Amino acid sequence: MTFSRRIVWVFWRNLVSYKRFVLTTFLASLIQPLFYLITFGIGMGAYVGYFGGKPYLYFLVPGVLTTSVMMSATFECLYGTFVKIVHEKLYDSLIATPVSAEDAVAGDIAWGAFRGLVSGGLMMVVAIFMGILPVSLLSVLLLVLLMVFVGVLFGSLAMIVTAFAPNFDFFNYYSELVITPMLFFSGVFFPLDKFPGWMKALAQFMPLTHAVAIARAIFNGDYGRGLIFNFLVILALEIAAFLAGVRLMKRRLIK
Amino acid sequence: MSVIIRADSLRKKYGDFVAVDGISFAIEEGECFGFLGPNGAGKTTTVRMIHCVSPKSGGTLTVLGSEAHVDNRAVKQRTGVIPQEITLDNDLTVRENLQVHAHFFAIPGAEARRRILELLRFVELEKRRDSKISDLSTGMKRRLLIARALLNQPRLIIADEPTTGLDPQARHLIWQRLRQLKGQGATLVLTTQYMEEAQQLCDRIVIMHQGRILKAGAPSRLIEEEIGREVAEVRAAPERDAALLPRLAPLARGHERVGDTLYFYCDDGRPLLKAMLELDLPDTVHRPASLEDVFLKLTGRSLIE
Repeated sequence: MTFSRRIVWVFWRNLVSYKRFVLTTFLASLIQPLFYLITFGIGMGAYVGYFGGKPYLYFLVPGVLTTSVMMSATFECLYGTFVKIVHEKLYDSLIATPVSAEDAVAGDIAWGAFRGLVSGGLMMVVAIFMGILPVSLLSVLLLVLLMVFVGVLFGSLAMIVTAFAPNFDFFNYYSELVITPMLFFSGVFFPLDKFPGWMKALAQFMPLTHAVAIARAIFNGDYGRGLIFNFLVILALEIAAFLAGVRLMKRRLIK
Repeated sequence: MSVIIRADSLRKKYGDFVAVDGISFAIEEGECFGFLGPNGAGKTTTVRMIHCVSPKSGGTLTVLGSEAHVDNRAVKQRTGVIPQEITLDNDLTVRENLQVHAHFFAIPGAEARRRILELLRFVELEKRRDSKISDLSTGMKRRLLIARALLNQPRLIIADEPTTGLDPQARHLIWQRLRQLKGQGATLVLTTQYMEEAQQLCDRIVIMHQGRILKAGAPSRLIEEEIGREVAEVRAAPERDAALLPRLAPLARGHERVGDTLYFYCDDGRPLLKAMLELDLPDTVHRPASLEDVFLKLTGRSLIE
């Protein structure tokens, strides 16, 4: 594999094009998480009351925030990248320059992570306006780092799917069979401890579970020892997914 | 003159399909070298291996002094590619397209701005520099592709069917620009299915068919060797061959029947024309031989799919 600093310029290309539709993406990436916050947070929160000594929203916000990072990074690296390969032929012109296939894919994963960060960041701003604040300024900083980290993870996973996708419909399998279950079984909306044992075990195989656990700990300044395990799981998966995503995409691009 | 690209028994396979079947050629610095062939002949596959976006399956291929392979950034840095398909960035304006590309070649900002203005003038798009790509005509898009390919001031320019889908005016403008570039010392590698394009631009051509090179040489020499100077076409049903051929064939260098037409190739058509007049044939054409005749003679006049 050959990477170079041209990754930055692939990212920059995306940034230049982004300015034309930045506002629409703000709306799109805010609406769904906002619904979760309102329906679950305020509607259900009224019944649930307190969770571990804090209002339910403190439990929910870091979960929804992480979810919106996952969604944005995923969809950018599924649909966004697919359009660039198949419809716009952008990758063809990229790899005819000194930009390698690896640079191009890594640049797009970085871009997916950035889109995730924007979505998650917007959620954080909304939460702050609702009066739900991260415990400290350090928490805010750590959450930003975490969002980038989680964005790279889900962007890379999505790249693996894109590397095999013959058309848009193919993405439905991934979003319905992987992303949606993850949304409901990763402890975003409620804790996992009341689940039966096998479901708890299953949840451990979902990267979102670990990401949400870390986000929640940072948001509330409530660090436990299990977090190192959560972090290592994501880190290992992230490295593997990144390398696999780049390699598989290269196989698709170079024929 | 020095050789800038050399291929020896170059092969390319996609699975079981052999796209390029052991071809050898040498392209010299400063010339315009054309790959001619019908669809699926292997022209595009060959140039894709030359500009290092597609790995070869066998043989050797040296470009600009180093072995061609997909991670050869040095070759890409000095090569300009005018692609067959319009691969412009539709999310960006004309100028942004060039700016982004300049970064990929690590051209410093001020120098990039200077070159972009100069190139937009060269392809007559300076008034459209802030246009969206979707507002450009096909001819403008093709010209922008040329400007983009020249940003890195390439020593080697690859043009893969650069005038496909263009009207005659736009096509001639592009030919002029390509000739201008050659005049400035660039080496041009062209693929085309248009014989006129090859005749207009190329110093030497190879005619490819089913992954192989059938013939190589200067266009005029190939015409001379394969066809002669003139062609006479006679529309007549095959049943009449028995009556016509004994009279006409000896007067020509060669002949061929395709469908409803007999083609006679000759250097001096006068005796043949006289005989045709005596036979009082109703439907005949007499014209100078062209590269198209060479091409069709070598690749077959029937439809290739």
